[in-house]
Amino acid sequence: MNSYKEIQSGSKPFKRAYVALMLWFVGRAIEAAARVDGVVKAEFDGLAPGFTFSLGVMPQGPTMIVGKDAQGLVKYRGWNTEGQKIDLKMKVKNLEGAILMFTFQESTALATARNRLIVDGEVPAACAIVRVLDIVEVYLLPKLIAKLAVKRYPDWSFGEKVRNRIRIYAGAVLGL
Amino acid sequence: MDLPGYYEYHCSVKVIAGHDALEKIPGILQDLHACRPMIVTDKGVAGAGLVDIVLGAVKDQLVIGAVADDVPPDSDLRVVNRLAALYREKGCDALIAVGGGSVMDTAKGINIVVSEGADDLMKFSGAGALKRPLKPLVAIPTTAGTGSEVTLVAVVKDHERHLKMAFVSYFLLPDVSILDSRMTLSLPAAITAATGMDAMTHAVEAYYGLSKNPLSDATALAAIRLISGNLVKATRNPSDREARLAMANAAALAGMAFSNSMVGMVHTLGHATGSVCGVPHGVCMAILLPYGLEYNRHKREAIMGELFFPMGGSDVFARTPKEQRTDRVIAYVRQMNQDLHDASGGRHARYFKEVSDREGKPAVPRERLPDIARTALGDGSIFYNPEELDYDDFLMVLEAAWEGVALDSGRIRE
Amino acid sequence: MLQPQSAYAFYSPTKILSGNKALENLPVELDGMNAVKPLILTTPGLSARGMEKVVASAFADSNLTIGVFAGIPAQPDLKLVRELYGLYRDNGYDAIIALGGGPVMDTAKALNVAVSGRPEDLESLADRNPLTKKLRPLVAILNLDLSGCEMTRYASLGPVSLTSPALIPNLMIIDSRTVPEEERKTLAATALMSMTQAVEACLHPARNPLTDAYAYGAARFIMENIINVLRNPSDRQGRLALANAAFFAQTVFDNLAPGMVYESGMAMSRSCRTNPGLIMGLLLPHFLLLEMKKETIVRNDLYLFIGGPEAFAGTMAEASPRKAVDRIVEILLEIQVLVADFPRSIRDVGIKREDLESLIPPLGTAGVRGGYGPQDIRDIMEKAWETRF
Repeated sequence: MNSYKEIQSGSKPFKRAYVALMLWFVGRAIEAAARVDGVVKAEFDGLAPGFTFSLGVMPQGPTMIVGKDAQGLVKYRGWNTEGQKIDLKMKVKNLEGAILMFTFQESTALATARNRLIVDGEVPAACAIVRVLDIVEVYLLPKLIAKLAVKRYPDWSFGEKVRNRIRIYAGAVLGL
Repeated sequence: MDLPGYYEYHCSVKVIAGHDALEKIPGILQDLHACRPMIVTDKGVAGAGLVDIVLGAVKDQLVIGAVADDVPPDSDLRVVNRLAALYREKGCDALIAVGGGSVMDTAKGINIVVSEGADDLMKFSGAGALKRPLKPLVAIPTTAGTGSEVTLVAVVKDHERHLKMAFVSYFLLPDVSILDSRMTLSLPAAITAATGMDAMTHAVEAYYGLSKNPLSDATALAAIRLISGNLVKATRNPSDREARLAMANAAALAGMAFSNSMVGMVHTLGHATGSVCGVPHGVCMAILLPYGLEYNRHKREAIMGELFFPMGGSDVFARTPKEQRTDRVIAYVRQMNQDLHDASGGRHARYFKEVSDREGKPAVPRERLPDIARTALGDGSIFYNPEELDYDDFLMVLEAAWEGVALDSGRIRE
Repeated sequence: MLQPQSAYAFYSPTKILSGNKALENLPVELDGMNAVKPLILTTPGLSARGMEKVVASAFADSNLTIGVFAGIPAQPDLKLVRELYGLYRDNGYDAIIALGGGPVMDTAKALNVAVSGRPEDLESLADRNPLTKKLRPLVAILNLDLSGCEMTRYASLGPVSLTSPALIPNLMIIDSRTVPEEERKTLAATALMSMTQAVEACLHPARNPLTDAYAYGAARFIMENIINVLRNPSDRQGRLALANAAFFAQTVFDNLAPGMVYESGMAMSRSCRTNPGLIMGLLLPHFLLLEMKKETIVRNDLYLFIGGPEAFAGTMAEASPRKAVDRIVEILLEIQVLVADFPRSIRDVGIKREDLESLIPPLGTAGVRGGYGPQDIRDIMEKAWETRF
């Protein structure tokens, strides 16, 4: 039977690296936004002490983890899930789905509507985290793109937005 | 007809409908290689004589392993475990669930325990935990509304650990749903009205929701057509068998639509009102549906206008200019609530201040609206709503729905 | 969509994934069905067009091993199924992915029966004994070169026919990368097959709210897209809509008995080796004209399915059935302009007039229903033989 062969699934190192980078960036941006933006802070305050969540790609990453520490401070906790107690796992079903999200071809809402994500954990917490992700997206993206990424673009004052955006970028890139 | 850039649809439930569909149960179980089912139901259903109708329909042709008729309205893990033990003790090999949401959820929970040999149900909660078919499950709904006979979710409470476990798996879908007009003939007018509007809401929200797709559209349109033609009729004249069967069909169709397209803010607020004030789900749906249409209108105008075809019928649809159709859809839903109010002798509530509890006191006090709005922020159905809602938006909608007035379009933020 | 038929059964177990990056969900879907090592079946032709590589690339980053057999011939037989049985068993596969229509699906369904139990189960099923085992996962990747039975309970391998609801695939994927451009004639044949299945379902005495819903989706997608796609085969969204329509049409077909046009078309196709879809397209208008003349059961809203709500509502009730037929004839005429060497009558496909008699499906065949006799079918056939569009 020469029409038969067995093949190993390949890999997509570049897409994987891109998504890993974006996750790292978003993770650190959440940490910064929780310090800078009142709404993000309030969302995290509403979650249980020590609450930790992950956002990653199935079947084996990349992943990012963000959690509240004992003092209630929000911290980016890296990519390694081993040994971490994670309350809420948000998993994109495959790398291409993550690429669609992180190249902003699909908003979080559209990705959810298209069943691209699996959510494991309490639903109210998931709702809060999606709201946080939406706000962080608005900070990180130019208005033209962010308008596609969220259902309703917030009517923040210009000055406040620019100030916060600079601080969040500084936090995400430089860890300040 | 729109084809979305991507969609998923799944409803593997075999639907068997008719005025004497129950008589097919023995053959159905044979096809599923089962011969000794356990019937799961509640006291109300059994008391109304519905289990007797089922037993009468299968007599001499089937050995019933056990009849568990004591599922409480607020069923939990203990009930599931107790009935699973009964299932095993009696050597059953299939489940027949006769009833509404709580009975269906309990039967699905029992099915996980007896199929997976689970001692801890918790291990099977969460996405993807179930990986193989469970024991045969036949669902016989006794209201025409929830659509839980065709949905893949089960919620089981653990009162001891104060947990609410949600199980979502295609393997939880019943194998067969039986829609038989005899099961709803004795349903009181107010419940007929409320559950019927629940089905209407499933279909309408599925049609304008973010996950709409060609099959959820087609099933939603068919459901709306049937509900528009039959719900008031069945409420006015409970023994109208044709209207009852049409409503049973409509509820299943709407169930297929919404379990594949999901639902939006009407359910977000309805779940929250239910959990804060204990108002029956269908009542919330009937009251809130016009507001879901009004609030999302600016994002879904054309799509909502299409609903006027199955609601108003083809002649009126043709006479109504496109730009007026959404207005007519909203007016139609409000009028339907009014007609159901009249047909039920005033027992079908049109707005929240009209809803009363068992003792006749207002069930939704105005001062609880902020609590409801806060609770709504944690409900997952909000993801599938076309427009964003925050706390203030929820409260605005609730206040209008409490009073029974239309939304002020100037206050809807775009 | 009148009051529902009082008694019916409806069953469509397949999960549908349709659209952008649908293929990439294969690993997670297989995992949900407890499968980790799928065997892809396809034809040398599709393999040469790179289809199998597209599917394999959807598994990237999944760490799975996949098998590919790209040697399904146009006329598969049981001998091939036995060989594939050995291959599946010896290499530890646990699911089948059928990439392609017709013969690929027939082979996949038969193979699935064999590997889920024993090869002898095939003979038992062919002898009309019911299956006793749950079958292994079967995934269908649909394109637009279809037989009309891919997503149904039917499979045939030469003289052997298999029928069981368990044969219906568990999962169907429609992804623009695996719904490639086809020759116009193939596209037209597939769409006309779907059209016939949908229209006959609309007029079927046992139709029900669910068959109506699926038939509606099928008819709307075909009417809205067939001409666009034939004019411009690179219209990806249009091709996806036609593939969706094919699935909806096959689902209603599977839930109702085959109709007269379908049965006659199949019989004629076997005798002249022309694609059955083309023949059904030629028969359909004549069947509808006859149906209109019958006093009994012309449904007054067929035009809703064919023309859509706006056109239907804007038409007087009396004129509506005629409009439905006219619209179908219009589409057929347009197709004939767009598709080179499209047959214009049954005469053109090489059937002799005197052979028509022998091609009439026997009375009592599922498709020949109340109110119609062999004479009616002969009339339809003769008209379609004589009349050139």
